[in-house]
Amino acid sequence: MNNNLVEMKNIKKNFGKVQALRGVDFNIGRREIVGLLGDNGAGKSTLIKILVGYEKADEGEIYFEGKKVFFNSPKEAREMGIETVYQDLALVNLLPIWRNFFLGRELVKGAFLSIDEMKKITYEYLKEIGIFIRSPEETVFFLSGGERQAIAIARAMYFGAKLLILDEPTAALSVGETKKVLEHVMRVKEKGVSVIFITHNIYHVYEVADRLVILEKGVKVGDFKKEDVTPQEIMGMIARAAGVIV
Amino acid sequence: MMEVKSIGSFKELSKIFKIKEMGAIIGFVVIFIVFSILSPEFISWGNLLSTFTMAAELGIVAIGITMLMISGEFDLSVGSTFAVVPMVLALSINNKINPFLGFIFGIFLGAFIGYLNGIVTLKTEIPSFITTLGSMMFLRGILLAITGGFPIMLQEDIPFLKYFGGVCIGGLRYSGIWFIILAIIFAFILERTKFGNWTFATGGNLLASKALGINTNKVKLINFIICSFMAGLAGITTFARFKIIDPTLGQGMELEAIASAVIGGTFLSGGYGSIIGTFLGAFMIGMVRSGLVLAGAPAYWYRAFIGIVLIIAAIINTKIRKKTAG
Repeated sequence: MNNNLVEMKNIKKNFGKVQALRGVDFNIGRREIVGLLGDNGAGKSTLIKILVGYEKADEGEIYFEGKKVFFNSPKEAREMGIETVYQDLALVNLLPIWRNFFLGRELVKGAFLSIDEMKKITYEYLKEIGIFIRSPEETVFFLSGGERQAIAIARAMYFGAKLLILDEPTAALSVGETKKVLEHVMRVKEKGVSVIFITHNIYHVYEVADRLVILEKGVKVGDFKKEDVTPQEIMGMIARAAGVIV
Repeated sequence: MMEVKSIGSFKELSKIFKIKEMGAIIGFVVIFIVFSILSPEFISWGNLLSTFTMAAELGIVAIGITMLMISGEFDLSVGSTFAVVPMVLALSINNKINPFLGFIFGIFLGAFIGYLNGIVTLKTEIPSFITTLGSMMFLRGILLAITGGFPIMLQEDIPFLKYFGGVCIGGLRYSGIWFIILAIIFAFILERTKFGNWTFATGGNLLASKALGINTNKVKLINFIICSFMAGLAGITTFARFKIIDPTLGQGMELEAIASAVIGGTFLSGGYGSIIGTFLGAFMIGMVRSGLVLAGAPAYWYRAFIGIVLIIAAIINTKIRKKTAG
């Protein structure tokens, strides 16, 4: 019995005549950060959508914590501990941080919100994982892109994620903010959570990843432990796959 | 127990200036002072209480519309609902139907109008501006057709109506009491319940709310129902005061109710607003109305003045919002 958190076996998916995935095996270990790389249209997001129940695979099996699973909706996946932080982050800018943190999962006493408790938990949990905010009452609108990303990650963590999927978390960030988000990703791992880090920038993920998986036209073309490969080699593979001669 | 906080500290002070209703409070004070100077009669208890009664009938409508606007939708049919509901009550009473039954039926009909507005808007995905513009015209047309355009008078004295529009103490009518109670209830619902949180979220970022598992259509539908229910209730308070109902009652009220909400800081685009702000907004409109009369200005000036107040309030609120909510 191996000890992988997630195993996806021989996943196939067609959209009409387009073969989006042609039999992909994809594993994530416990407390492992996996960088999922590939050019646009390589099949990264289709693979993830199948994992979280957004799409159904035509063929293949998924195991989560050793048990065969079949998610009909992202909600079912979330209940099992698979949290996805999409690029739009699902934050409401006009609301304060604490309301965003607990949105849809509010703490209540009777009919009323436990406001003080939620503020306290928000502040303390963010602090615990290394995110310092001035006040939980601050409106999300005033936060930087990196801070928002951090809050979305923290929220997923707090609600019991075992696997955190980050969709291009650093795409819109400055160099400094990217560094901060990468630090948060490391903290997430220290907490015992596995991470799938989707990106097409190898330099962002290389620093934090344990393993790098490369997709190309629906096929897995590379699966390396970080120690076995340099960023330049990965870049070359992605570029070659996209038809660019390096 | 709340911990005791040091009063006068800078942090506390800046907190006060960050509250959502600051724009409404400033506007309220300015208008109050201006009209007090123009006419000493303005600050008499008699005038302030009758002003408040007028504000109450508009304000109850505005509370409902505030909830709906925060959730990201609109209702232009509140003025028609405001007339239809008491009309049903008046016709029931005049046709010897149990007045209490007529009341229940009227209120239920009000809520049902909101339900229909909501269902049509959410199922067909047309803007609520259009749906409710349609129902506004439809209901008004029905009203005019049934009455032939003539007012309907209440033919017997119905004691329980006193608790909607009758005099409570001095110049204060029960409608004012209802206004205060409903404002407190809805302020609590909005700020301190899950439903209120979801109302803000639904109007603030629809897709994010859906992604977090909030049933946004249900949230909107409930707010449509609240909005029409409140409009109907407000119509009954007016009817209880006059004992007569004109089929043109409530025309133009939808815009005054929306103006009350906007003056009070609510976003036209949803996701932000306050019941307390709307309370002050409606009171402000009432003050302008009575203040201008007392200052000796012809009644026609009322709308012109409200227009200016609306625009100034919107500008001030936009500035304040940039500092508090973005």
